[in-house]
Amino acid sequence: MDLKEKGYEDHIDEEVERELDQLSNDLTKDDRDRLREVVRERVHSEMRKEAERLREERASELKKKVREEKKKLEKKEKEEEEYFIRFNKNFRFQHMVMFTACFLLIFTGLPLKFPDFFISQILMTIFGGVQGSTLIHRIGAILLIYFMVHHFFYCIFSKDGRRDFIKLIPVPKDARDLVINVRHFIGKNPERPKFDRFSYIEKFDYWAVYWGCVIMIGSGLLLWFEEITMKYIPKYWVDIAKEAHSDEALLATLAIVIWHFYNVHFNPDRFPGSLMWWHGKISKHEMIEEHPLEYERLMREREEQEKSVEVETK
Amino acid sequence: MSPAVKRTLVVASLIFVAAIFGGRGEAKISLEKCTICHGKSEFRKVLVDGKVRNLYVTQTSLMGSVHGKKGCVDCHFDVMEIPHRQRPKKVTCTHCHYKGNPEGAPQSDVYLEYFKSIHGQKIAQGNDKAPLCQDCHGSHDIKHTKVPGSKVSKENVAETCGACHMKIYANFASSIHGVKAAEGNLDAPSCPDCHGEHNIYQHLDPKSTVYATHVPVQCSKCHASVALMSKYGIDAEPAETYKESFHGVASKFGAKSVANCASCHGTHDIRPPEDPLSMVNPQNVPKTCGQCHPGANANFAAGKMHIDASKREAGIVYYVAAFFKYLTITTMLALIVHIFLDLYGRTRRFKEGK
Repeated sequence: MDLKEKGYEDHIDEEVERELDQLSNDLTKDDRDRLREVVRERVHSEMRKEAERLREERASELKKKVREEKKKLEKKEKEEEEYFIRFNKNFRFQHMVMFTACFLLIFTGLPLKFPDFFISQILMTIFGGVQGSTLIHRIGAILLIYFMVHHFFYCIFSKDGRRDFIKLIPVPKDARDLVINVRHFIGKNPERPKFDRFSYIEKFDYWAVYWGCVIMIGSGLLLWFEEITMKYIPKYWVDIAKEAHSDEALLATLAIVIWHFYNVHFNPDRFPGSLMWWHGKISKHEMIEEHPLEYERLMREREEQEKSVEVETK
Repeated sequence: MSPAVKRTLVVASLIFVAAIFGGRGEAKISLEKCTICHGKSEFRKVLVDGKVRNLYVTQTSLMGSVHGKKGCVDCHFDVMEIPHRQRPKKVTCTHCHYKGNPEGAPQSDVYLEYFKSIHGQKIAQGNDKAPLCQDCHGSHDIKHTKVPGSKVSKENVAETCGACHMKIYANFASSIHGVKAAEGNLDAPSCPDCHGEHNIYQHLDPKSTVYATHVPVQCSKCHASVALMSKYGIDAEPAETYKESFHGVASKFGAKSVANCASCHGTHDIRPPEDPLSMVNPQNVPKTCGQCHPGANANFAAGKMHIDASKREAGIVYYVAAFFKYLTITTMLALIVHIFLDLYGRTRRFKEGK
């Protein structure tokens, strides 16, 4: 074995032999043999240890590099991934008006339902006592009524609105989807249900808002204009309105905070929340995952369009 | 014993005896001296404005009062000589009535509240019509609150206050509280039960016990007590249901314009709802509600007033509340079960590494 060929210029063995000779020339032969033996063992073990350590170091460096590369690639992929517009500007605006209204109404309304709760007193103070919070509650009410009217016209006069409204009407498939989904949760069904543009969860949210708005706005108006109300109808209707307003408020708040917030914020897929309400975009990946039927339809439509364009150009 | 010593002893014992009897004798003499003039039944003074001031006081005037063992100059201590040349000053009760006094007066400081009260403030401002201690408690005939005949006892205190507050007294005397209090019913409230004793403030003063937002608290002292109310066949719930009503909640959060108990039931002229003069008699409800809700009509009286939606007596409101209760429970239960199943599925798939 020629060490020079491997690129090493010095010879460790010669160096060690020379030093051993110098150090041990006054010892007996037995002692010299013992010393040589000890040195040999130590050198062997040190060599193995050091070689192992160096090998590990290289390996971890490599791993790190690979991870970084992967991340970069993922980021690039994500940036390049196709997006679909799920909610148009008008729809996003409606949602923003509605949740602003809801927050104002909840923060100024619920303290009246739970006056002894310690947060109630704080909220009341923040919103300017009874008078201030009454005013803000009514501003919230006007926003909610505006949202309701806006949405009504949106569903009639906007193309997207008409399409979405029809898509939101519950169909028997929703019940089947629910069953499939529950079976999927408990592990009896490997596949998730294939949702169209709106899953049964989203449909529930939508119609819950309908029910809530009708009850809350109806009873709220009776209470707001109680003097006019009681000009025409007896007092116990106002009592019913008050009860319904207060109870439905709690139900709506619970549904929003527990159900809606879970589905859009606390759900592990989405935590801490998606910004879809702001930019209205949905990624291709999420589209395939959550709304496969809609994705398939969109792809079909695109193909047909491309074909027709091709035909036209020919 | 030498005569000198004897003489000294006699003189000493005489001084001792004189000291013992002399002291008493002086007080007695003082009282007797006072009654030389004041003991004459026609002893009176005609004031400038023509009013007659009765100055007739006998040795028995203080008997039976809490000051039965006191003499004239114990309170009229500015009388140094008899006959006195000047009119004695008004008696200052705080001369003895303060905490830590050695005279044996009750060890209490509650009287101090008087000085901050509206009555005390007015006196301090120089209003001589405002009452001093003796105007309510009496002068020579002061008796303990619980003793019948006391000017501040349950049955008499309204009349005492009414000496100045005549219109209010007339209202109160015919109210259910006034009638019962005059009968000596200790459960019935008289003026101090709502307005306080020494700490009386104007009702617009936030310190007042009958300030708008304090009224429900005052009324609840009795009307929230089931034990007390059941004695008279009165429902104790309205105190509670008021707190849950919009009026009650708004009042709790400091709204002053919102209705409190007194806004609907009256202040001094509170009468049972069956009484046609009662503000809460169904016939009068439109007018009562109309104080705040202009244009109130008979519709305001249609339906129960103090509603507890959790009780069947609430009628249709009970069923509305029950409907929403079960709607909320079932909906939220279903939604929460769905959420937990979802989470369960996720953890299971996560463990399986999918």
